[in-house]
Amino acid sequence: MNLVSIVKKALMALTGLAWIGFLVGHLSGNFLLLRGADAFNGYAAFLASLGSLLYVVEAALILFLLLHIYSGLRVTLENRRARPVRYAVAATAGRATVASRTMAAGGIIIAVFLVVHVKMFKFTSHQDVNNGLWGLVVDTFKEPAWVGAYIIAMLAVGMHVSHGLASAFQTLGLIKPRWRESFRRTGFAIGWLLAAGFITLPVWCYLVPTN
Amino acid sequence: MKFTLKVWRQPARDKPGRFETHEVSDVSPDTSFLEMLDILNNRLEGESKSPIVFDSDCREGICGACSIVINGRAHGDGEGTTTCQLYMRNFKDGETLVLEPFRARAFPVLKDLVVDRSAFDRIIQAGGYVSVNTGAPQDANALPVPKVNADLAMDAAQCIGCGACVAACKNASAMLFVGAKVSHLALLPQGAVERERRVLSMIEQMEAEGFGNCTNEYECEAQCPKQISVSNIARLNREFYRAKARE
Repeated sequence: MNLVSIVKKALMALTGLAWIGFLVGHLSGNFLLLRGADAFNGYAAFLASLGSLLYVVEAALILFLLLHIYSGLRVTLENRRARPVRYAVAATAGRATVASRTMAAGGIIIAVFLVVHVKMFKFTSHQDVNNGLWGLVVDTFKEPAWVGAYIIAMLAVGMHVSHGLASAFQTLGLIKPRWRESFRRTGFAIGWLLAAGFITLPVWCYLVPTN
Repeated sequence: MKFTLKVWRQPARDKPGRFETHEVSDVSPDTSFLEMLDILNNRLEGESKSPIVFDSDCREGICGACSIVINGRAHGDGEGTTTCQLYMRNFKDGETLVLEPFRARAFPVLKDLVVDRSAFDRIIQAGGYVSVNTGAPQDANALPVPKVNADLAMDAAQCIGCGACVAACKNASAMLFVGAKVSHLALLPQGAVERERRVLSMIEQMEAEGFGNCTNEYECEAQCPKQISVSNIARLNREFYRAKARE
C-alpha cells in the first residue's frame, strides 16, 4: 500500500503514545504486587470482571501494536533503501543518540519479549499455584535468568520510549520551538522512569517475598 | 600546513568508485577548503591527471552549490558553515581528511564529489512557489504580517537548498528542506492561496524522489549551514495534516 511517509509516522506516533499510556496504567496496577497476594489477585480479578470491555482494550492494543510494527518496518526498510551507499566515515554532530539509532533493534527485542511475557503470565494457568497469579509471578522471578531477561527487555523499553515519546509529538506537529527541549527531557524521563519502575518488580520478587 | 586527503573518485554515474589518497603540503592556514582543492587540482592537471570534480559557485556561503561530506559531516565540522566557508585553520596540521559525496539514492553521484541534486528542483517545481498575480505594487502596510511570522518565514527562507540535511540524515530524508520551503510560504499571506495544494504536492514529489523518512534525530539541523530549525519539520507535519483535513 502506498502510504505517505508522514501518514506512516503519524500512525507510529499515535499507536506508540497509546502503548505508553497502557504502560503507565500497567505499571501502576503491577505495583500492587508489593502489597501482597490479596491486593494483586483482587486487582487481577477486577480486570477479569470487566469482561467484554477488557477484550475491547486488548483487541485495540493488539491492533495498535500491529500497526506500530507495520509502520516501523516500512519506515526502516525505506530508510535503508534511501541510502544504498553508506559513508566510509560515520560521524554525527551530536544529535544522534543510542536510542535514536536503535529504535528498530529495540522494537524487535520488545516484540519478542511481549510474546514471551503474555504466554508466561496470561496464558499459563495459575489455578494450582499457591497464591494464584501473585504466586506465579513471584515464583517465576525466583529464577535469576528470568529477572535478567526482564531487566534487558525493560531497558529496551526505556530506550525505545526515551526517543519515541518526544519524537511522536514532533511527528504530530505539536512541538513549538520553545517547548522542544522540555519535550525531549520529559520523553527521556518518562522512558527511563517506566523502565526503572518495571525493573523494580522482578527484582523485588527475587529478593523479598516467599510463596 | 600539511594534509592527507582520501577523496572519493568515481568516473561517472553508475560506475564503481573508490578512495584515492593525495598529500597536500605548504597550505596556508587562511586557504579556504575549496581553494585547497583548487591547488591540488592545479597540481594534478600539471601531472596530466584528472582533477577532482566538486561543485562550487559563489564561494561566499550563500548559493548552496558546494557540498562534500568531510570526515562524515556534511560541509565539514563547522557550525553553520558551507564547505566554501571552511578554512584550513579549522583543521589540525597533518590531519587526514576523508572527502565523500553527499550519499542518497535521490542524489546520484555524477562524478567524484558531485551529485545530482535536481530532485530538490523538482520538489520546488511541484509547488515551492507563489503563482498569484499580485498586480501593481500596493501600499506596504496593506497586507499586515505579524512580526513573529515574518521572522519565522525569513528564518525558513534562509535555506539555500544545498542538500546537507539529506546528507546528514541517517535516513537521507529531505524533510528539513521541504519543511523550510513549505514554512516560508505558509507563514506569509502571499503563500496562503496555494497553501494546501503546495504542501501535498511537494510531499508527493519528495516521496517520488526516493528520500527516506524522518525519524526525528535532528542531525539535519545540526549540520545545516543555515541552521534551519527542525521546528519547520513540525510545521510541515501540521501543514500536511491541515491540508489533508481540508481535502
